[in-house]
Amino acid sequence: MSPDSKQDFAFAFLSILFEGAPFILLGTLISGFIDIYLPSGTMDRLLPKRRFPAILVAGLLGMVLPVCECAVVPVIRRLVKKGLPVSCALTYMIAAPIVNPITALSTWKAFKGPQIPFGEELSYSASLVMTASRLGLGFLVAVAVGVIVARIPLAKILRQRLVDSLAKESSHNHHHDHGHDHDHDHCHDHGHGCCGHDHHHDERSDNRMVAAFRSAMRDFVDVGVYFTVGVAITALFNTGIAPGAEWLDSLAENQVMAPAALMVLAFVLSLCSTSDAFIAATLDKFTYGAKLAFLVFGPMLDVKLLFLYQTVLRRRFIIGLAIGLFVAIGAAAIAWQSVITSLAAP
Amino acid sequence: MNPKLQRVVFSLALIAWGAVIIYFYATGRITKYLAPDFRLIALAGGLGLVVVGLFNALTSGQEASCGHDHGPDDAHDHESLDVHPLAAFLILVVPLGLGVAWTKDEFSLGSLTRKGLLDSPAENSALFLNAVMPKLTKEIIEKQHPQDAAGYHDFSLMELFFSSGDPEMRELVEGMRVVTEGRIVKDPEGGMNQRRLYRLFITCCAADSRAIPIIVRFQDAPPEVEENSWMKISGTMRYPDEGMGFVPVLEVDSAAEAAPPPEESMLRRGF
Repeated sequence: MSPDSKQDFAFAFLSILFEGAPFILLGTLISGFIDIYLPSGTMDRLLPKRRFPAILVAGLLGMVLPVCECAVVPVIRRLVKKGLPVSCALTYMIAAPIVNPITALSTWKAFKGPQIPFGEELSYSASLVMTASRLGLGFLVAVAVGVIVARIPLAKILRQRLVDSLAKESSHNHHHDHGHDHDHDHCHDHGHGCCGHDHHHDERSDNRMVAAFRSAMRDFVDVGVYFTVGVAITALFNTGIAPGAEWLDSLAENQVMAPAALMVLAFVLSLCSTSDAFIAATLDKFTYGAKLAFLVFGPMLDVKLLFLYQTVLRRRFIIGLAIGLFVAIGAAAIAWQSVITSLAAP
Repeated sequence: MNPKLQRVVFSLALIAWGAVIIYFYATGRITKYLAPDFRLIALAGGLGLVVVGLFNALTSGQEASCGHDHGPDDAHDHESLDVHPLAAFLILVVPLGLGVAWTKDEFSLGSLTRKGLLDSPAENSALFLNAVMPKLTKEIIEKQHPQDAAGYHDFSLMELFFSSGDPEMRELVEGMRVVTEGRIVKDPEGGMNQRRLYRLFITCCAADSRAIPIIVRFQDAPPEVEENSWMKISGTMRYPDEGMGFVPVLEVDSAAEAAPPPEESMLRRGF
């Protein structure tokens, strides 16, 4: 690297890092405290009994139970085991990283400033348009996934071990019918492995505040690692140091290739949804539509999620999900950009 | 890695991140990196990181329980990571350290070229930028741009840049005697007497900045100053169509080196 390249890389890298770090901290503090303090049956109780309304509500649950995509997979794994319908669990898993107040706030901040014209006299701030579009499209895609998943047999979605575990759990519950609201300590006698639901611990040994901060720190480090790598790559592209930066720029004007390229970039960068808007905002050669594709696809599927999903989902289902998301979000982003462009035209 | 050691190591990483942000804020260097809206947020984040890091470091040896049960085959815990803890620590700290060591709080000219420094100033109709400009009339121009002692109207460079894309503004400002300031660089395609005067436009952070240039033409040889020096230039505005649209050109009457302004960039305020 030449001295100029080092200088450029460092300047871009630090500026994005300074901008995104507070939002990652906010997100991981909230998820850390949810991780420790939220009773595991809360989501179950929030959902309607009927399937479609339940899927719709699951798509909005991130607004009250905000978690990023890294934290959501362990959460839904546990919820599925506790009997949450898989369609609702997957809807929540896909929607929550986008449809949540932290992501909304960071997207709003990242796009603050410019106006997007909707005709000669009418324009809205990019903050409003991008935040609403991101949350709206994220919600719609997640609900669509939930509706489709509801029609597929569990064995084709979940890993065999999880399906077996669910079957065992179901039979266990039939033979071991008791409420969840009474004290019992038999589970502790056999190492937390008997029944898969909450039991009261000895409060004297609990120090949940410490555990919550530890969980938050773990989440921050986990997310921070991907964020740092993502910011470094972005800084290299942003300043033209990375090989292929010119090629990427050349795709920016292409209506179809631009969203596709940014979805691939989002997949590779594996950014956290709480901070990815700051990266998207720096891709100034690309259209808002391509950025929307980046912001919706990335939290639903990236390299790290590919590994995380495999702890819950079958590989074949993941491949189908990936292709479906890529095509659906790409098409939606292209259509969105066409509408914006036609409205903006004098 | 030993859980206690892991907690201490991660705490150090958080403290390092927080300390760097606080340092840049305290020294005022943050103004080069972030738009004003983000500076206090960054400071709060930096302080938060230090607090969380210190809390976890000081309690690293304490027993703590999450207070809930993990079900059968549930591998989730509250401290394990996808990557090795030491690798995670290095990824968090090494690029940050290199960034702090290498940064000069500005982009090189090569990078600025990529950010539009040498683009034609006539190409200024991008939605991204001209949409943030307020609509101006002659009355507003005269009210907002008082004349200096020599009779030149004080304009921000960005206004001059965008005025070329607005027919009404172009007509109003054409031939007006104006004074403005920015950084001066050579114009590879502009001949001996031509330079570019630019400033950076930041929306959120330096990475999304764009160079906003106008053309400055000297009657004689330009003053010999270092590339990228700050200059205050007075002259007459013209908008010739030189084949690629109307270009904002300042025909220079006088030019002098100037002190850098407190804010490097022309942000959303200060029009």
